[in-house]
Amino acid sequence: MTRIKLISAWFGGILLLAGAVGILESGAADVFLEVTRSDFQKISLGIAGIQNGGGPDWLGGRIEEVLKKDVKRSLVFDLVDLPSLGITTSDMGNGTGTGSKALFKQVAEKGVSVLVWGKAVMKEAQKDADVNMEGFVYDSGSDEVVGGKRYAGSPSVVRLMAHRFVDELVFRYTGEPGIARTKIAYVAQQGSARELFVMDYDGYDARQLTADGFLNLMPQWSPDRRFLVFTAYRDRNTQNIDMIELATGKRWTLISLGGLNITPSLSPDGNFLAFASSHEGNSELYRLDTRTKAIQRLTVNPSGDLSPSWSPNGRELVFVSDRGGGPQLFLMGSDGTNVRRLTFDGDYNAAPAWSPRGNWIAYVCRTHREYKLCVITPDGQKRMQLTTGPGVDDSPSWSPDGRHLVFSSTVDGKSHIYMIDADGKDIERLTFQGTHNSAPSWSPAS
Amino acid sequence: MNKTFCALGVALIASVALIGMSGCAKKSVQSGGDSQSTQGMAKGGGDKSGVGSYPDTGVQPGGGLRGLDKNPSEERIGSGTMLAKVNPSGNADRQMDEIRAEQAASAEAGLRDVFFAYDSWAITEEGRQALSRDGEWIKSNPNALLKVEGHCDERGTSAYNLVLGEKRAKAVRNYLVELGVGANRLSVVSYGKERPSCTEHAESCYQQNRRGHLAVKVGK
Repeated sequence: MTRIKLISAWFGGILLLAGAVGILESGAADVFLEVTRSDFQKISLGIAGIQNGGGPDWLGGRIEEVLKKDVKRSLVFDLVDLPSLGITTSDMGNGTGTGSKALFKQVAEKGVSVLVWGKAVMKEAQKDADVNMEGFVYDSGSDEVVGGKRYAGSPSVVRLMAHRFVDELVFRYTGEPGIARTKIAYVAQQGSARELFVMDYDGYDARQLTADGFLNLMPQWSPDRRFLVFTAYRDRNTQNIDMIELATGKRWTLISLGGLNITPSLSPDGNFLAFASSHEGNSELYRLDTRTKAIQRLTVNPSGDLSPSWSPNGRELVFVSDRGGGPQLFLMGSDGTNVRRLTFDGDYNAAPAWSPRGNWIAYVCRTHREYKLCVITPDGQKRMQLTTGPGVDDSPSWSPDGRHLVFSSTVDGKSHIYMIDADGKDIERLTFQGTHNSAPSWSPAS
Repeated sequence: MNKTFCALGVALIASVALIGMSGCAKKSVQSGGDSQSTQGMAKGGGDKSGVGSYPDTGVQPGGGLRGLDKNPSEERIGSGTMLAKVNPSGNADRQMDEIRAEQAASAEAGLRDVFFAYDSWAITEEGRQALSRDGEWIKSNPNALLKVEGHCDERGTSAYNLVLGEKRAKAVRNYLVELGVGANRLSVVSYGKERPSCTEHAESCYQQNRRGHLAVKVGK
């Protein structure tokens, strides 16, 4: 904690010190990895209830439930069960009462670092019901109520209030924006068609984006979260790369070259779109400069090249090629230079996704005829298999904080979407509706 | 003491990294970012056709978190900040009608599917026999235009199966061309594993899905 706070305090002043650019990537990784390292000490946090200040019985409980799940998923906090520590809680208002003082003392003695509590009210306004939520935070390290938040909105945004509050907590204690307000774009079967959907990162509030009645595949986010790029078969016979604006539903064709036009991926700065196209014969990788509209061919090879994924600094791409027989991961500069093979284990490695911290590449590896998730370091030195068992796992996509992956799997029969910690722990199923959900793509943080 | 020193060192390296990154990551400067002028394809800008217009997707800083406050003022949370309501506009119905017409025309022609081995796009002896019969029909119906669809079973990734499906479709097309069918009458499309004819996790179903399918085009 201390380290993180100090770092942010020092940031401004030290920006003056330029030079010595050579060591930058390993240095940056050291800082960002702070909370993904296995020895990272999670911050213990207790939730002393969200009181119902009026309105339906479910209100406070619902918010508390969302808070708890978000806190757990943050992987920044260790959620402690206060009753099991012998700590009983009651309505604490804004934390200035004498009852609160006694509770704070107890919490500090039990070694709980952060205490959170709040209140929610739903009142009937003229037209629609209105929800108010308050949340407060006590920090036992500084022995003070460090602050709180007050939210207002319609009953439909109750979950969003909780998500937002947890993102504020994560921001307070790590300087990162948190992932509780992120979204996941994916493909879902609708009749015989496959359409694009977007849901909250916890699987709630799924919304349909396309209704073409045919195939829309493999959505990827723009860095500003406002657009998705994806493969569309609008007339069933040709494949294009389309773009859709989420706020308006406006949609248009970005790439229509003929042949396969698949696996679009926008560079972290949004200036380039890498994609695979077979319009010159077999599937090759190309790069569209989104400012000049110039298209540069990146690979020249009689085999299939596809699935480009950008390194977070935009300088390199990891991609799939079957130039050695089966599909394997390769790396190259984002201008197509310096191609080298990354994976050598097994005869099928595909669907790579470079982590936002740069330190891992997640992909689908075939072992014993099953398709599972693996991760490998960009230097190829370390490799781990994250999932085991039956079923086809596909399309890993990183959370913006690099602590989770979302992917599709047929482990429960039909294809559904799951979340997993980056170290392979805690699989959580996110979709339960429908006959087929696939190709998840995690949005950037806001 | 030690901690402070360490933090200083880490911060130093990090800030150097930041400078390095901002130096190479050009700011996204877009003219317009106009997503209205997007119907069809905008050919201007590059000398390649087939490229549509592109909006400004530069990352806007902020993110909306305002920090914890000792005396918090009320923040209004809006719903539906993103995601317009989807408008089906009869597209799905039109597609269904066209697909049914296509299926009927293909069934009437009696065209046979070609089946493939796992991970393979080689045409088998059985496939050659099916295609020679299909070829006869195509040659005796000189006005028919055909779509060669490549399909895959559910194993493997969606993306790689699209490439594999294209290889299968092209293998079928190339064999038909060898049999004397004009290449201009055969278009190729890969559906990968996205339009399976069955969904059981069993070899009997996988076999049916690893196929090249000939569809008689209807309409345009």
